[in-house]
Formats: sequence, structure tokens, C-alpha cells
Amino acid sequence: MILTTLITLSFLSAILTRPIAARLGRLNGWGSAVIPVGLFAAFFSLVDKVARGTVIAESVPWVPSVGINFALKLDGFSLMFVLLITGIGALVVIYSGAYFSDQPPEVGARFIALIILFMSAMLGTVLADDLITLFVFWEMTSLTSFMLIGFESEKSQARTSALQSLLVTGLGGLALLGAFIFIGIALGTFSFSEVILRSSDLASSPYLPAILPLLLIGAFTKSAQFPFHFWLPNAMQAPTPASAYLHSATMVKLGVYLLARFDVAFTEVPAFGIALVVIGSMTMIVGAFEAIRATGFKAVLAYTTVASLGILVMLIGLDGTVAIVATVGFILTHACYKAALFFVAGNAIHATGVPYLRHINGLGKALPFTAAAAVLASMSMAGLPPSAGFIAKEYLFEAQLVSSWKLTPIGIAVMVNAVMVGVAGVVVLKPFILNRHDPTPVHHGETKGLLIGPIVLAIAGIMIGMAPSLFVAPIIQPAAAALYGAPIHVAFSLWHGLTPMLALSALVVAIGSLIALNWDGIHDLFQRKERIHRWLGDAVYFSALNNTLNFARSCTRWLQNGDQRHYTSIILGAVIFLVAYGVLRSDSALIIDLGGAPLRLSPIIILMFAMAGAIAAVQMSSLIAAVIAVGIIGFSSAILYLLNGAPDLALTQFGVETLFVVVVMAVLLRIPVYAPSTRTRKEKRRDIVLSVGVGMVIFLALATTVATPLDTTLSDFYANHSLSDAFGRNVVNVLLVDFRAMDTMGEISVIAFAAIAVWGLLRRKTSSIDPGHDPEEDMYTRWRRR
Amino acid sequence: METAIKMPSLIFTLASRPLYWLMLGVSVFILYRGHNEPGGGFVGGLIAASGFAILTLAHGVPTARNALRLHPVVMVGIGLTAAFASGLPGLLTTGSFLKHIWVSIPIGVTQLDLGTALLFDIGVYLVVLGGVLAFLFRLYEESAV
Repeated sequence: MILTTLITLSFLSAILTRPIAARLGRLNGWGSAVIPVGLFAAFFSLVDKVARGTVIAESVPWVPSVGINFALKLDGFSLMFVLLITGIGALVVIYSGAYFSDQPPEVGARFIALIILFMSAMLGTVLADDLITLFVFWEMTSLTSFMLIGFESEKSQARTSALQSLLVTGLGGLALLGAFIFIGIALGTFSFSEVILRSSDLASSPYLPAILPLLLIGAFTKSAQFPFHFWLPNAMQAPTPASAYLHSATMVKLGVYLLARFDVAFTEVPAFGIALVVIGSMTMIVGAFEAIRATGFKAVLAYTTVASLGILVMLIGLDGTVAIVATVGFILTHACYKAALFFVAGNAIHATGVPYLRHINGLGKALPFTAAAAVLASMSMAGLPPSAGFIAKEYLFEAQLVSSWKLTPIGIAVMVNAVMVGVAGVVVLKPFILNRHDPTPVHHGETKGLLIGPIVLAIAGIMIGMAPSLFVAPIIQPAAAALYGAPIHVAFSLWHGLTPMLALSALVVAIGSLIALNWDGIHDLFQRKERIHRWLGDAVYFSALNNTLNFARSCTRWLQNGDQRHYTSIILGAVIFLVAYGVLRSDSALIIDLGGAPLRLSPIIILMFAMAGAIAAVQMSSLIAAVIAVGIIGFSSAILYLLNGAPDLALTQFGVETLFVVVVMAVLLRIPVYAPSTRTRKEKRRDIVLSVGVGMVIFLALATTVATPLDTTLSDFYANHSLSDAFGRNVVNVLLVDFRAMDTMGEISVIAFAAIAVWGLLRRKTSSIDPGHDPEEDMYTRWRRR
Repeated sequence: METAIKMPSLIFTLASRPLYWLMLGVSVFILYRGHNEPGGGFVGGLIAASGFAILTLAHGVPTARNALRLHPVVMVGIGLTAAFASGLPGLLTTGSFLKHIWVSIPIGVTQLDLGTALLFDIGVYLVVLGGVLAFLFRLYEESAV
């Protein structure tokens, strides 16, 4: 049960991190990093096993009646993700400790705890082998992402962006749940491994037109594909360590993970591949365009992430084993260099306090190690040898050349990759190398914690490139094989000979260098394309959100307009309608059967009292007297209950009536005793119609109910079993406390909520009625004092 | 504008304390006997709340709150916890939440029959008491009555 244990440990440590890390002070980053490092080591020990083809699977029944299990599975692909999650997670935690070192330790502790919670949720998602389990962890990542984006909750921009990310990914999550439920219905199982193997069943299922779009929406929202891409750049409001972790290396790759897994399941559905290539390509173009246009350092990186995710989605859509290897390779290299670049950006912004790319100059001297990491990571992003990015790009082009698509994807890929080369160049040149004579002032230097992240990842990028065989056999090959379902030969090396891919790479580097050199000009040109930018942005999101809120506001304005009689009219109208509908639709005819029994005197007297009370209540002009008259009706009902053998009910009714009068009196004592009526004639007529209607409808319903023969099965059961099974002779109480105890618990929860709401809402500052006296003084003392 | 705010009557104020204690006692009695005779947690809670209502009307909210000692919402919380906790023994022994368990404790010559159902009823009692008093105290606070 090693997988379950590790995940449980991860979640537990997330809960414990916040108090413990707050106590560690300056070392909270290094101390908390123990958790991800430990997890990394634990999973690393399984690399050998998994590389040899073993799959570790565990399952705990969760909802057996519906076939949902808490199932976990570790194979090559998930292992690669797990190592990325825990490895980069460790670096992020250390970085966070250093990033928040100039703020009180509780802030850093809260952040690190959220990061570890997120890490646990990510682990759960990639290890899940049951669709519903996967969904639960998926939503957990959305939730923790929301809390991390809105971490600096004083900034309204952070709050808006956090809400935007939650709504968009939440909507996708809902679509994903729909897709999973449909799959469960269509195939009869929620087990992920099983679903993937039954591709022919899926293709021939009548639910396919529902499953495919819903699944795609779920994956596209999470991985920021067009048109759902707009939340990712706005998510840069998060502190940089969160951006590095969630919004480049791990969370946004979840959609890619899901699509990659489902690729085999949809082999017989060509629409899947087509949709992926089309949307992926569009995302690539949009990402590239916006990357040039953006001004913020992190925004540029965010948009290139969007473009990279587009590349990944497109790769999954391509057919062939080369595409699978390219996907795996690109996931690995992109995670390494993107996180490194985000760390670099974080250092630059943290040091200078300036978030705009164009305004940072010449930091090479002040932040030498950061600059070095930037150079190495950019090499990987640009796809220059000997970095891993070069190998990944070569595989990308090979996958496109080998696939059945024509030249369009290749053209798009060349342009987009050229833009990425340009961005890589600009990101290194502008902040660090150019204008060294006129550097931007630096407030914070580099510290060990801030450097470990970028340096380790940048070096990893180069190492994978220079010694690929170290990584192919243990990680990349098993990952590709796990996706494909059969072993694939992976030839990761720097030199493949003079191939078309090499030519394309050279072309990309050439165009990219031109872009980098003419960056300012192209940037300004694209900045002027205001209209295109608006179409590609979040305008639709905001208009949808505002329209929904406006609609809600106008509904509320009508329904809750402040007039209590309006609410009562709505309720009474609904009662009339519903009861009449129920009575007319019931099987039994409308019977008013008086029976042959003689009239009993005592109920008649009681009812006459009640009627007197009712008439008095309507006629009285004093509200207090009217309330007491209504109380008379309540007491009469209670006595009727007594006469018919329901003492519990009667007791409760007595209590309720008394307390109701007492409570309402508190309000009535503050208003004039003799209040003139404020109803117009039309309103009075409407009141009469409603009251008479309710009375008649209830009378008809009661009469019909009483006339139908009573089915005593339930009463007999409870009467017989109350003493024997529940040791109580009072059937009513036994029902409340034992047989239907869950319902009672629900009822007292409602009372609890109402009490909490009342306590909060009725809070008043000072008495506006009688100023000039001590509100703490009780009224007896006040009376004595008069 | 003539409002009905008058000083409390002397008889009422003097009788309020004994009445309060009497109603509290009665409410506990009704709570305990609910399982076999008419009564139970709901009615007991209402009667206890009425006792506090008398105290509020006669002496004002601060006196009644001191008599209650606990914050009404805290009382509600304790009641909910008690009700929830009463279901746990059943969950642990038979795997079914809210399956009540009974014990019989001999005290002197009589037997004291206790069970988790009584704990549940106490929870209901406290919730009703706390809920009604939340309304009562908030509405009667700082009013000139």
C-alpha cells in the first residue's frame, strides 16, 4: 500500500506544515522542503521497478454500490509526473522560504503549506486510477490554485484573477465530471485503466457525442487552450513561486496528462485527434502573438507557456509513436526550463521591484548566478544544442513530418518556435546582458534559497541534453511505453545526422534571432493591434460574469423587495398552486365525506374559540392584540391535538405559540400601538383572494385526505417495534431520536444555521430609540432610576 | 407617538425568578422522561427557553445572559456536537451511524437506563434552547422594554 501511504503522508504534512513552518522562522523553506524531498526519494526508489515494466496498483472500495474505488496506479508516465511534481516542488518550497523571508514567518508558512497541499492534490491526480477519484483531486488542484493566486488578498487584481481561474477551471471540472459520468454509464466502469483499453466500446457508444466535447472542455480549461487561455496570464498575480510551480510546470499540464492518457482510448474516434491539432495550433498562434505583445516579465513567460501547452496538445493529436515520445520529452524539458525562467523572473522582479521586462537592464553584475541560470534555461527554451530543449524540438518536428497532416502544422510550429527563440533571447539579453553600464537599481541580492531552484533546473536541462541516455531508459522510455501501451524505442541523442528536422531547427533559430534583435519594433507593432488583443482576451468571460450577476440582482430585487407582505403573497400563491395541483392530480377523487358519526361537542367549542380568535385578529387595529388573537388559534389547535391523543404535539404547539408571541412582541413594542392600515383597496382585495384561496385549498386537501382509507402499515410497524427495538414507549419521541435520527440532525442543523445568522444579522451598535442611557444597564435598574 | 413601553409590574418581576427555576426543572424532567412518556428534547428546549424568556421580560437581556452563562450560539454548537457524538458509538460497534446503544446502571435500589438516544435528545434540547434564545436576546437587546 505504498502509494496510499505516501499520498496520506503528503496530505498530513500539508496540514502540519503551517504551524510548524511558522516556528522555523528563516529556515521554513529549507525545513519544509524535507517533505517533497522525502517523497521524491521514495518515488525515485521505485524507478527501477517501473522501468522494468512493473505497474504498482492499489485500490480501496469507496462507493461499492456505484462501482467507485479509491484506486491508485503508478506506471512510467505517472512516475515521470510524480518525479517532476515532487522534485520541482522541493525547489519551489526552498525558493518560497527565501522569497518570503522579508515578511513575517506566518505568511511564508501559510504559503508553503498551500504549496504542499497543492502538491499532494497533484500527486493524487496523476496517480489516480479511478475516474471519480481523479476528478476529486483535479478539483482540489483548482481550489488550491485559487487560494495561491489570491494569496495577496489585499490586492483586488489578485482576487479577480483568482476568481476567474476558479470559475473557468471549475466550469471545465463540471464538464469533466459530466464526461466521466457518461463514460461510467456507457462502459459500466469507472476504472481508468479499464476505460483506456475499451476504445472500440467507447467509439460505438451512443454517449460519445456527449463524452468527447465535455472531456475536451475539461482538459482545455485546465491547460489554458484557446478560447479558455485567458486565465493563465491573469494568474501571474500569484507570488512567483506559485507561478513557477502551478502555472508552468505542473498544474496546467494536467489537461495534457488527461488527453495523453485518453489518446489510446480514442484511437477509433478521429475527431479527437483533429480537435486537438486544430485547437493546439490555434493556441500556439495566440500564445506567440500575445507573448510578443506582453510587457510584464511574468506575462511574457505566461504566454509562452500557453503556446507550449498548445504544442503539447497538438502533439497528442498527431498520430504515431514519434509524437508520443515527443510529448513525453517536451513535458520534461518544458517543466525544467519554464520553472527555471520563472525563478529567474522572480529574482529579477524581487531584486529591482520592477515587473516590466523592458525596464530592467544590466542585472548581470548584481545577480550573476541568476543570469547564468537564465542563459542555460533560455538555451533549452530556444532549442539550442546541447540542451534538452534541442532534442525535444527535433522530436517535435519529426513527429510532425511523420504524421499524416500536411505542411500547415509544420509552418505554424516553425513560426511559434521562432517566437519562443526570440522570447528566450530577449529574456536573457534585456534584463541581464544589455545596458550593463546603466543597470536598474537592485534592492535585494541573490540568496542561496533563491538560487537553488533556477540553477538546479537550468543545469538539469543541459544535463538531459548532454547525457540523454541517463534519462531515457529509466524515465522517458517507460513513460512513452506506458502511454502507448507497448514498448517504444526512444533514440534521444544530440546528433541524428543531417535530417530535415535539423534543417527546420536551424530555420527556427535563424528566424528567432531576427525576432530577438528586432524585438522592440515588433513589440510596438503588435501593441497597436488593440482589437485583436481584445478578441483574444477575457472580454467574453467578464461580460458573461456581469450579465449573470445583473440577472441575479434583478431577480433578487423583485423577489426580496423588502415588503414582507410581498413575500407572504408569493408563499401563499405557491401554496395554493402546489396543493391544488397535487390534489387534482392525485388518484383519489375529490371527496367530501362527512361520515355518519354524530357531532362531538368539545371540538366544536374549541373551534368556535379559534374562529373568534381569527375574526378578532383580522378586525383588530392594534397589532399586539392581533398577534395574541392569532395565538388563540394556535392554542386551540393544541387543545384539539390533546383531544385526539397527541400529547407531544400539543405540548410543542403550546410552547411554540407562547414563544412566538414573546419573540414577535419584541418587535411590536417598538412601533406605534395603533398603526393605520397602509393597504390600498386593490391590495386588500388581493389579500382576501389569497387568504380565501389558501383556506379553501387546505380544506379540500384535508377533507380528501381524511376521506381516503388510512394505510396503517407504517403506524403499526413503529408501534410494534418502538418498545422492542428502541426501548421506548413514546413512539413519537422514538421516531425523532432513533428511527429518523438523521432527519432530526438535519433539522437541528437548520436551527443552528438560523441562530448563527440571526446572531450576526441583528447586531446593533447603539440603541437608536432611547439615546442617553447606558445600554448595559438592565431595565429594572432603569425603572428604579426614573 | 405612543408606544407600549411601560415599566414591568412588580408582581411579574418578583415571580420571575421562582418561575424561571421551576420551568428549568420541568424542562429537564420532560427531557428525561421523553423516551417513555410524552416529552422529549424539543419540548424540553422550548420550556427552558420560555423560562429564560420570563427572565428576559422581567429583568432584561444582560441578566438572562448571565443566567445562561454560555453564549447562545456556543450552546447550539455543544448541542450539535452532542447529537453527532451520540451517533459515534453505534458507528464504532456496529458500523451504522446513529444506531443507539443502551446501558443499565443500577443505583441503589433503582435502575438508571441511559443510552446514546438520551445524549441525542440532550443535543436537541441544547440546540432548541440556544436557537430560541439567540432570537430572543438579539430582539430584546437594548430595547426600551
